[in-house]
Amino acid sequence: MSTTKGPDTIRRDWISKSLAGALLGFSLALGCSGLFARLASGMVMALKVQLTMWMVMPIWLAVLSGCFLFRSGKRAWLWLGVANLVVFGAFAATRLF
Amino acid sequence: MRSEIIRIYKIVHTWTGILAGMALFIAFYAGAITAFKEPLARWASPPAATSMVPLEDAQSLITRTLTAHPEAARELRVNLRPSEQVTARVEWEIHDEDADEHDRLSARHYVATVDEEGAVRVDEAHPSRLAELIDVLHRVVGLPVDGDLSRSIMGVIATLYALALVSGVIVLLPSLVKDFFALRVGNNLKRMWLDAHNVVGVVSLPFHLVMAVTAAVFAFHDGIYFVQDKMIHDGKRSAAFQARSAPSGGEPRDPAAMLPPTELVARVEALSPTFEPTMLQYVQVTGPRAAVRVWGHDARSLSPRAQGGFAMVDPYSGRVVSTDYLPGRQDAPQTLLSSFFALHFGTYGGHPAKWVYFLLGLLGAWLFYSGNLLWIETRRRKASRRGQGEIPAQRRDTSLMASATVGVCLGSICGISLTIVAAKWLHGHVADLSAWHRYLYYAMFFGAIGWAFVRGGARAAVNLLWLAAALTVAIPLTTLLAWLFPSLGMWAHTSAAPLGVDATALAGALGFACLARATSRRVYEGPTDSVWSVRRPLPAVAGAEAAPDVERATG
Repeated sequence: MSTTKGPDTIRRDWISKSLAGALLGFSLALGCSGLFARLASGMVMALKVQLTMWMVMPIWLAVLSGCFLFRSGKRAWLWLGVANLVVFGAFAATRLF
Repeated sequence: MRSEIIRIYKIVHTWTGILAGMALFIAFYAGAITAFKEPLARWASPPAATSMVPLEDAQSLITRTLTAHPEAARELRVNLRPSEQVTARVEWEIHDEDADEHDRLSARHYVATVDEEGAVRVDEAHPSRLAELIDVLHRVVGLPVDGDLSRSIMGVIATLYALALVSGVIVLLPSLVKDFFALRVGNNLKRMWLDAHNVVGVVSLPFHLVMAVTAAVFAFHDGIYFVQDKMIHDGKRSAAFQARSAPSGGEPRDPAAMLPPTELVARVEALSPTFEPTMLQYVQVTGPRAAVRVWGHDARSLSPRAQGGFAMVDPYSGRVVSTDYLPGRQDAPQTLLSSFFALHFGTYGGHPAKWVYFLLGLLGAWLFYSGNLLWIETRRRKASRRGQGEIPAQRRDTSLMASATVGVCLGSICGISLTIVAAKWLHGHVADLSAWHRYLYYAMFFGAIGWAFVRGGARAAVNLLWLAAALTVAIPLTTLLAWLFPSLGMWAHTSAAPLGVDATALAGALGFACLARATSRRVYEGPTDSVWSVRRPLPAVAGAEAAPDVERATG
C-alpha cells in the first residue's frame, strides 16, 4: 500500500473492490439484460429469453475483471452503484410506456 | 498509476491462476479429448451381436415396441447410420426420477430388435460410457459427480479463469509488441517459459475468452434463468418453453398412424439438400404434442448443438413444425444463439475445426501447467553466481506447489489413459464397467497426487510422465493385441475414426516419452538450486557441478 496520497495513487482495497465487482457487477448485468428484454419486445419469446440469459455473464465478467481499475473500493461502490441506478431506472421507466 | 495498475493486475493474475489453474488443466485436457468424443465412443464400443433391423422394417418395430413398452414413448430414438457405437435401430433410455437432469451417466439403456421368429425383443444394453465420462470430467473440472454443486464450482473456476485472462492481458499490454514477437530461447529459462506462456496465451486468447464465458454460462444458466424469470419475464419464461413440450391430456394416439421414418426423413431432406440426417428422436409420440426431431449434420453450417441440429416434424401429418434448430435454416437471433454453442464445441468447420480445437485445448492445458511452473520459478532461491557457497534450500510452498501441479496434472493424464485402456480389457469381466471407469480414473488420479507428495515433484514428474507414456501407448497396443489374438475377447475396429484414436494415442505417448526424457535430464543433471532437482546439495566448497548421479541409481 502506498503511503503517498497524491492524485496518482491507486488503493488496492481487495475486498471492497471484489465485492463491488461481484455484487454490483451482477446486478448491473441483470439490469442490462432486463433493459434488453424490454427493448427487444418484438422478438420471439423463446429466443429473447435465451439471449437475455446469455448477456448476463459477459457483462458481469467484464465488470468483475475491470473493477480493480477504480482508484479505491469506495469509488468502485460509488460508480457501480450509480450505473446500477441508471440502468434500473431505465428498466423501471420502460414499464411506464 | 499505470505501473500500479499493472502491479495490481499481476496479483490478480497470480491468485486466480493459482486457484483455478489445476482444475482448468483437467478441464482442458479432458475437453480436448472430448472434441473427438464420437471416435472415442466408437473405439470403446464392443462389436454388435446382432445386425441392425432394415430401415424399411423400422416402422413396424417402433409401433410394436411402443405397444409393449409404453414408457418408451417419452423419448425413443431411431438410428439411421450404423457405426461401431450405433448398433441398434431402435433404442431409448429411462432416467432415474431422482437423478440430476443433466446426468446422462445414470440412465438405463434399452434396445429393441427383431428375433428369428419375427417377434420384437427388448434388451437392456450397456453401451460404453467412456467418452461420456471424459466429457463429464471436463464439464465439472475432474470432480466425481455431475451435480448442482460441481457445476457451481465449475462456474467459480470459469469466473476465476476469465479474471486470469483479462488480468494477464492487462499485465502484458505495455510490453506486448516487444514480448509477443520474441521467444527468447537461451540461458534465461524463466524468460523463455514466460515468453512461451505469453505467446500461447495471446495467440489463443479468442478461444479462451469464448471458453471462459460459455463455461460460466453453462454452469450458472439455471440460476440466471430463475432470477430473470422473476425479475424480467414475470414468470412467463417457462410458458415460452413448455408450449412445445408439455403434454396436455387427451386421448392417447395410435403410433401405427405415424408416417414411416423414411418419409419423415424425406420431408426434412426436401428442406435442405446439404443436411445429412443421422437419427430420429421421437418425443411423446402417443400424446397430443407428438413430435419427431430429425437430427443430423450439415457440413456447410454451424451446428446449433454439440450433437448437430434438427428439424421438428409432426409424425402424423409429416408437417415440418420448426426449423429453429436446423443448420443453415436459422434466423439471425437463432444463429447467434447457436454460435455460442458451436464456438464452445468446435462444431462449425467439420474435422479441421475439431483438430484445431483439440490442439487449442491441449495448448490451453499447457498454458495452466506453465503458469504454475512460472509461479514456482519466480519464488526459486538461486545459488550465488560464482558457484561457491551453499546451495540454498528451496521454499516449502514452492516444493508443495511442484508436487501438487505434477500430481494433479499428470495424474489426470494417466487416469484418463488408464480408464480408456480399461474399456477393452475389462469389458465382459466386470458387472458395471461404467463404475469401473470412474474407480480407475480416481484411483490413478489420487494415487498420482499421493506419489507426487511422497516422492517430491521432481522425481514424481519423471515417474508419472513415463507412466503417462506407458498407459497412453497401451491404447494402440491393446488394439493391436486384440487384432492379433481375437481369443482375448477384445476388439480392433478398423474404420478410420477408431484407428484415428489409436494413432493419436501413439503420437501422444511419444510426446509424453520425449517430455519424460527431457524432464529426467533436468531433474537428474540440471542445476541443483531448484525444486526440480533431486541432486542433493553437497556441502559447500565441494561444488554442485561435481555431484554424481547417485540418485538415478537409487530412485
